[in-house]
Amino acid sequence: MARTADAWERPPGLPETHFVDARIYSDPTIFEEERAQIFGRTWVIACHESELPSPHDYRTFQHPAGVGLVAVRGADGEVRAFYNVCPHRGNVLVHDPAGNARALTCIFHAWTFDSAGHCTGIARRKEGYQDRLSPSDVGLRRVACQVGFGGFVWVNLDDRAPGLRDHIGPALGLLEPHLAAPLEVFHYQQVILDANFKLWHDTNSEFYHDYMHHFNRVTGMLQPGYFDRKYVPYPNGHASVGSMQVRYDSYAGGGERKVGWPGLAPGGWILVDLFPGITYNLRTSVLRIDTAIPLAPGRTLLELRGLGLKSDSPAERAERVRDHNTIWGPFGRNLHEDFLGVVGQGRTTRDARAGSRFILHAREEERGIHDEVGMRHYYAEWSRRLGRSAAHPFAGIGATSGTATATHPPEPR
Amino acid sequence: MSDASPRRSPTELERSLAHDLVYELSLRLDAGDFAGYLERCAPDLRYTIGAYSPELRKPMLWLDLDKPGLRTLFDTLPRHHSDHARLSRHVTVYKVEGPPDVDDDGGAGGGDLQVVSALQVFRTVLDGGATTLFAVGKLFDTVRLDLETRAARLVRRRIELDTRMLGIGSHLPL
Repeated sequence: MARTADAWERPPGLPETHFVDARIYSDPTIFEEERAQIFGRTWVIACHESELPSPHDYRTFQHPAGVGLVAVRGADGEVRAFYNVCPHRGNVLVHDPAGNARALTCIFHAWTFDSAGHCTGIARRKEGYQDRLSPSDVGLRRVACQVGFGGFVWVNLDDRAPGLRDHIGPALGLLEPHLAAPLEVFHYQQVILDANFKLWHDTNSEFYHDYMHHFNRVTGMLQPGYFDRKYVPYPNGHASVGSMQVRYDSYAGGGERKVGWPGLAPGGWILVDLFPGITYNLRTSVLRIDTAIPLAPGRTLLELRGLGLKSDSPAERAERVRDHNTIWGPFGRNLHEDFLGVVGQGRTTRDARAGSRFILHAREEERGIHDEVGMRHYYAEWSRRLGRSAAHPFAGIGATSGTATATHPPEPR
Repeated sequence: MSDASPRRSPTELERSLAHDLVYELSLRLDAGDFAGYLERCAPDLRYTIGAYSPELRKPMLWLDLDKPGLRTLFDTLPRHHSDHARLSRHVTVYKVEGPPDVDDDGGAGGGDLQVVSALQVFRTVLDGGATTLFAVGKLFDTVRLDLETRAARLVRRRIELDTRMLGIGSHLPL
């Protein structure tokens, strides 16, 4: 039965863990809280070490908390990260997205910095500053940086944050055995979506939308083992989905993939969603990494990477690139469909009057592949971090999802 | 035949046939006439879309299909959910080069033409008809001619995109 305006405004008769208020995707206050309280304090992927293969290589990154960063590989091989800001007059220090420079030199007034962030040169320092300013006072702002979990360069703006390993916990346990070999990025793409960043992560956190993907239906949903895949929630809002054997030859013109991945069964597929906006997606021959970077409540920059093994022969690499592009490239079968879905959501959640009122995350199938426990688990962590219920975000600071009215047991942590 | 061999200038007929083919291919795709597009492709077609990534400092390959692969892509489109906004291609042929002056055996050169064109693709949404630029790049085509029948077929199309931010992407080739 179609609903009246009053009925449309009425929360669904579900536990408050099982739906969210659509305003969490558009409210500017919540957005700023997310930037400060979530992204400003957590580990995110800036790039991959293969993007900085040589000493003095650098790579820029738009941090989701708002600041631009630059990662630099030093002469000692260590990768460090800094604000991409000259401390002198606030110009962007490095303009190109990647390059190699023995010294990072600001084009504005020629101040120079080494790969450890030390200021190594102030043009006409004695004449202008006499002894009032020391280079040691004007080094770059260093940001916590660790390389790990497949060679990714992780950064954290919070100097007092727990370590990366503490943040990840056991969430990448399914994948870590497959991330030991050195990896290399062969695909990098940015996409700006008119949708909130959480909507992209939501899509990566549920497989029910395989109904949208013809490719996934015929190679996965219609194959044995698909509904045996289970969601496993982990501390800090992460979740994983176990493997199955994808039948790539079931898609017209397809065939079994000719290259595999170390330790992964043929046709295997493991996916891990990391709070607040990163997805590891290892699908038979290719590792895909999504990084969601919020730009505004209804606007998100996605960084999409495809990786193979550094040891690939040219023929093996060509196979991985082809496999990647079939579904995940900008002309691939699945990526375009995912964008259509999320941009559609973005239109109806762009503000409080755009149509959507409550978004359901209520499927329960014993944590099976179409269970929406991944999203529920995410929003439990989101609520804990912000001190707001995702279902009733304006009901009063301090109320948290999953505590008050849930009739179902809380999600395992 | 070596790619490095100097190429002769095309005849007016060759140039005309090459121009016509490049423009006809764009019109076919714009019209959604995929069968008509494939008719103008040689059996040994290879079609690629790539872009250079300044972030990776490497070239990337985003689509690589032979003729059966392209046919399958077209045939499976109805099974997929695709953006229904219309893509319109604006192509300008910049350069046509004839076959090499001499072939590897030292005889008179025969063979395929090389054609370089500028490509702009515009996207027009159904609701309201607003048009935005989708992508710019260049087409590097190899064209095979049969002068007796005055038929031209596309043997190789390499699209090098300048644009890498492609919005929600596309299920269609460019």
